[in-house]
This record gives sequence, structure tokens and C-alpha cells, in this order.
Amino acid sequence: MALPIKYNLRNLTVRKGTTLATAITIGLTVMVYLMVMALARGIDLTLASSGEPLNLIVLRNGSTAELNSNVSREQLNALTYLDGIERDGDQPLAAPESITLIYRARKGMSQGSNITIRGIGPVSSRLRSGFSLVSGRMFQQGLAEAIVSRRIAERFQGMEIGDKFRIQATDYTVVGLFDAGGKAFESEIWVDVNSLNSTTKRDSFTSVLLRVPDRATMDALEKRISDDQRLQLKAVSERKFYEDQQGTASGILKGLGVFISFIMAVGAGFAGMNTMYAAVARRTKEVGTLRVLGFSRRSIMTAFVLESVFIAVIGVGIGILLALPLNLVSTGTSNFVTFSEIAFNFRVTPDLMLSALIFGAGIGLFGSLLPSLRASRFKIVDALRAS
Amino acid sequence: MKYSKLILKNILRNKRRTFLTISSLVVSLFLIITLATILTEFTRGSKEANPMRLITRHSVSLAFPLPVAYQQRIAAVPGVKHVTPFSWFGGIYKDEKNFFANFAVDPRILRDITPEVKMPEDQWQGFINDRQGAIVGQKLVTLHGFSVGQRITLKSPIYNADMEFIVRGIYTGGDEKTLYFSHEYLNESLPDWAKDKVGTLFIMASAPSDIPRISQTVDSMFLNTDAPTKTESEREFAQSFEAMMGSVKQFMYGIMAAITFSLLLVMANTMAMSVRERTREVGTLKALGFQRGTIAWLFVGESLLVATVGAALGIGIAVMVFRSIDLSLYIPNFISFIPAPETLAAAFALALFVGVASVIYSARRVSGMTIAEALRSTE
Repeated sequence: MALPIKYNLRNLTVRKGTTLATAITIGLTVMVYLMVMALARGIDLTLASSGEPLNLIVLRNGSTAELNSNVSREQLNALTYLDGIERDGDQPLAAPESITLIYRARKGMSQGSNITIRGIGPVSSRLRSGFSLVSGRMFQQGLAEAIVSRRIAERFQGMEIGDKFRIQATDYTVVGLFDAGGKAFESEIWVDVNSLNSTTKRDSFTSVLLRVPDRATMDALEKRISDDQRLQLKAVSERKFYEDQQGTASGILKGLGVFISFIMAVGAGFAGMNTMYAAVARRTKEVGTLRVLGFSRRSIMTAFVLESVFIAVIGVGIGILLALPLNLVSTGTSNFVTFSEIAFNFRVTPDLMLSALIFGAGIGLFGSLLPSLRASRFKIVDALRAS
Repeated sequence: MKYSKLILKNILRNKRRTFLTISSLVVSLFLIITLATILTEFTRGSKEANPMRLITRHSVSLAFPLPVAYQQRIAAVPGVKHVTPFSWFGGIYKDEKNFFANFAVDPRILRDITPEVKMPEDQWQGFINDRQGAIVGQKLVTLHGFSVGQRITLKSPIYNADMEFIVRGIYTGGDEKTLYFSHEYLNESLPDWAKDKVGTLFIMASAPSDIPRISQTVDSMFLNTDAPTKTESEREFAQSFEAMMGSVKQFMYGIMAAITFSLLLVMANTMAMSVRERTREVGTLKALGFQRGTIAWLFVGESLLVATVGAALGIGIAVMVFRSIDLSLYIPNFISFIPAPETLAAAFALALFVGVASVIYSARRVSGMTIAEALRSTE
């Protein structure tokens, strides 16, 4: 026969201070776990959503990032005649793009980071769903005008509409702010590709973005481009291209998160053990009474384990409450694949909360096993005689 | 301390509880020391920068190269003692997993620009005299087993080029996970579009007081060219790199604060349990004539002793672990992963603070009870 749940809940409220202290200890562990994981998740989600499923990005063979890629005008020409590229009338949906970086100070700081400037073609924004201008207007082709993602304007100095910034010897004017639906492009500044190329005195592009009609065409075209010995180019699905960038930053974060929260969990587990040993010791006589009443060793053990898990679950609740406001925090760091700023939100997602619950309950379980075992092994006579 | 025996007896009364509390302290301090060491390494570049060294880069971004001809022009600026190209090659040894930094430099000047890099004289000569020569840091030897005379091929995705080097020396000091090779050799091996360019130029000044003037002179010299420069002291350069990390620092401090607070709760909870259980004893002590202050101090002493033992073990274990496993081998840019003495001292102080802060409330409460109250307690 099992002890009623009420028994556990009553016991938790008798020693409110101890219960709360132990719960908060577990809560802080859960909070730190969620903090680090939410940061990694933010980076992951930003990069994972950035690639369109039916876009191919074409880079120079051997390059690992857009920054060290190069596609000449001849290569671009050859590309646009390939079968499989989606067409709008006569116009192939192929967008040559160039990128460069500028260094800007963050707001309120003298230091800053690199921001990616992307020179885009007329079809570029059509190849990127989620793009929308939020204020101002689009830049005019051929002019030294720029549109800036709203997040960059919020985080860096001198990036509002009307402000000017310099790329090499040319001053660009900000004429509009845009949103990109939480994608990596929200960390960029967009200008006209031909204007950027003349500013940076470059005759070629960094990459070409292609739209294909369906998955099968995509695989065929990817193979066709990468296998062509004359082209010396490689095509990657845009989705995979961005997913590969996650590896570094979020991998380090996840590793760090697991390491920190595991060690904290061990510490919190010891604390939980102390609490439970004290609870067992205090209730020795009670346990004896329960045994006399006919409750089995097993139900005594279950009761103590449950009690500890309850404390842990309260702790998880506290931890989640502490971590949830992070969802509102937007932050940025450097993406060391592209050497430039990547802006993102902390993302405390439901599945992270679930894993936090399992993690926290696990701490409670770990902390309670030995004390509960001890309680279940009392001899009835000795237990009743305890002071 | 005539009561030290009593304090010790009290601590050993519930051995399991003391053991668990100390274990909790040990793991928390270990974690705090680890995080603090990561933070130290993040900012080491700016803290230990050579005050005589300057770095010139393209004013827009590190991603743009400078013409190699700038080297000669900068060398002629008064107060400049040495200049060398310092170009990131981004070469990969066999597999991307093996990432380490590799720079193309002027081998004749490297030792003057980076006095922290130490190597036997014959190896310097070997490096200078072999166009294809390279030198590697001691930690690369540990990681990849490089030896003098060995041929190494690096593949650079930036230039889409493979280059073969012959190891001519093994240095110690500075970042020992770097490979240096000759810029002339790099220049010959690159395709036309990448020739005659350098990533950055490292300058050694004659005196620290020359730094601001050199930086101004250099930057105004190239102001109206296609490749304007930004020349900063090594410290400023390192700081701009650290700033690129964004709010990592605040984030880490936040985690450390959470760990400390949780440790405080663990200790306070344990001490509260110990003190409460002994309420009746306190009544007896009071009846025997012990003063309130003495009784409170007995508890504080007990908590402090537990904290001290935990701190000593935590610090000892951290030092032992990081001395036997050198994590800096696996983390780019980290020069060492041995906790700094200041970090250890701070961790110790933190433990003592937690020790005192966690017991004050319980100790005051119990020692302030009247004899009758304390003896009547049902704990």
C-alpha cells in the first residue's frame, strides 16, 4: 500500500525554509542550464531558419565561407545557362552577391564588431522569404545607399535612417530599415551589388544564389555544378550552408552548458542529500509508526523519493521562471566562421523546459536514493525507540 | 583557541553531513575557478600586451589585406625599430579538427617583434636560411608530434592553396600553438590576385612613448589611398578582439553569481539544520555560564572551518586537475589553463565569506534564546 501524496506535501510545508532553500539550489542549477542552452538554441534557430529549402548557394571550390569565395563574371554567365534554375519569364532566378565587412562600435561602447555588408542583386530579396522593409525605402540601384537590418540599427552606433557610414572611400547613406524574420540576414546591411563592387574595386562576386523548382532538381543541379571541372565551383543547399555554421559557436556553448550544469547538479545533489538525510533522521519515530501500521519498506522508500522529487520540481519551476525573461533579451556575438556580428535572441523553448524538468527531477532522485534507502531499512523497534 | 576541540567535535558529530557539505563546496569552487580561468584567458591578450608593439591593419576590417609595400614605408617612420608582415594563412593540417593558427612573417624580424618567442640560436638560423622553413610552438609538438626536419603540408581555404613547409625550429613562450613561416615563400606560392598583400603589419617601436606618434604618422600616410590603415597598440588591438565576443563576460559573471548564491543557500541550509538540532545543548551551555557571544562564535568557527577545508580541497583539486590536463592545448588562443594565484585567492576569500554569511542568522537566533526557551525546544 502506498502512502498518500498528501503525506508528502504536508511534510514539505512543515519545514518551509529547508524545502525552499533546497528547491532554490536546484532552481539555480536549472536556470544556469537554461541560460546557456537558450543561448545556443538562439544561435541554432537563427542559422537553421536562414537557409531557404529550395535555394542553392554557389561558391568557389574549396572555400569555407562567403568571405573567402570568389565567382567571376564568366562563371556567373555559365551558371545562368544551366538547366534546372527556376525562371521568371526569361529571367533566371540567380542572384550574384558580394559581401564585405565594416567595423562599427556598439552603442554605448567604444569597441564593436564587424558587420556584414551584402551587395544584392534585383532578385536577391525575392529569394529570401521573410524579408520586409519596416521603415524608409529600398536603396536605388547604382547609388551609394543602404538598407540596414533593424537589429543592427538597434545595437550599433550611427545606423539609423539618414546616417552615413564609409566603405573604403565611399560614404553610404542609410535609407531604410528591414526585418528578415529572425534569420541571419538580420545581422546584415544590404546595398546594391554593382555599387558595392565598384566601391571595393572588385570585378567578381563572392557567391551566387540560385532558386530551383524542387528537391530533385536541386540535387541534380548541385551535382552538376560541383562536378564540372571547368567551373571550379561548388554548390551547397543554402540550408546546409547555414546549418554548418552552427557547429562552432553553439557547439562550444552546449559543451560548456553541459559541463557547468553537470557540476552544479552534483553540488545541488549533495545539498539535496543533506536535506533528505535530515528529514529521515527527524522522522525516524514516524517511520517506525508507519511500519507498525502496515506500510511496507518499499512504500516508505517511495514516499521519501517522491518528497525529494517534489522539492526538485518546485526548483525546476523556480529555475524556469528565472530563465523565461531571457526570451526578451536580444544579444550578439561574433560568428567566427564569417568574422562578423550575428544577432539573435535567447530562446527558452518548450523542449528545453522539458529537458530542464527531467534534469531537475534527476537531481532530486539522485539526492534522495541513499537517504530513502536508509529510512526503509530501519528496524521497527529501533525506530520507535529513537528520541 | 581553547574551543577548537569543541568545534572539531561538533563538526565530526554528523560526519556524513559534513562530508556532503564539503563536497558541495569543493565542486562549486572548482567550477568557479574554471570559469574565472576562462575569463582570465579571454582578456590575457590585452593585459599582457607588449607596450612597444603596434599592429597596422586595413581601416575597414581585418578581412581586407594591405599592400606589402607598406612595410618599407612604415620602416622609414622615425621611432619604428622593426616591421614585419603578419598574415593569417588559415592553413589546415590534415583535418579541420586540427585547427591551429599559422602566420606568414619575415623570419629575420620575428624574434625582434616577438621577444617572448624563445628558440635556440641554431634553430633561428635554420629558419632564416630556409625559404621553406617553418617554426612551431611546443604545444603543437605535444599535439601533433612535429619534429625538426619534418615536412608539413597546410591547406588554406582562403587561397585555395596547399603549401609544404619544413620544420626548422620549436619555440617556447607566447602562444605555443602557432606555426610561423616565411612571407616571401607565401607570396611566391600564391596566385596573382593574392600576391604582394599582407593581412597585418606588426611594428616594434623604440620606446613606448613613440606609440601614439607612430600610429598617427602611419595612418595619415595612407589616409587617401585605396587601403587606408588603422594602427593601434597591441593592447587596443586585443581589446577590439575581446569586444567582438560581445557580452560573454557579463554572461559568465552571471553564471558565477548564480553558483555563489546557490552555494550560500546550501551552506546556510546545512548550518541551520545543525544549529537547530543543537538548540537544547545551547540551553545547557548557557546554564553552565557560557556567554551569548561565545556560543555564537562556536557556530561561526564551525562554519568557517568547514568552508576552509572545502576551499582548500576545491582549490587543490582545481590546481591538480589543470596542471595534469592542459586544456589550453585544445582551446584556440588560450595560452595556459592554470588558474592564476589571484583567482585562487579570490575563490578562497569567497568560501570564507560564504562560511560566515551562511551561519550568522542561525547563530544569532539560537544564541539569543533564553535558557528556558532553548531547553524547552523539541528539536
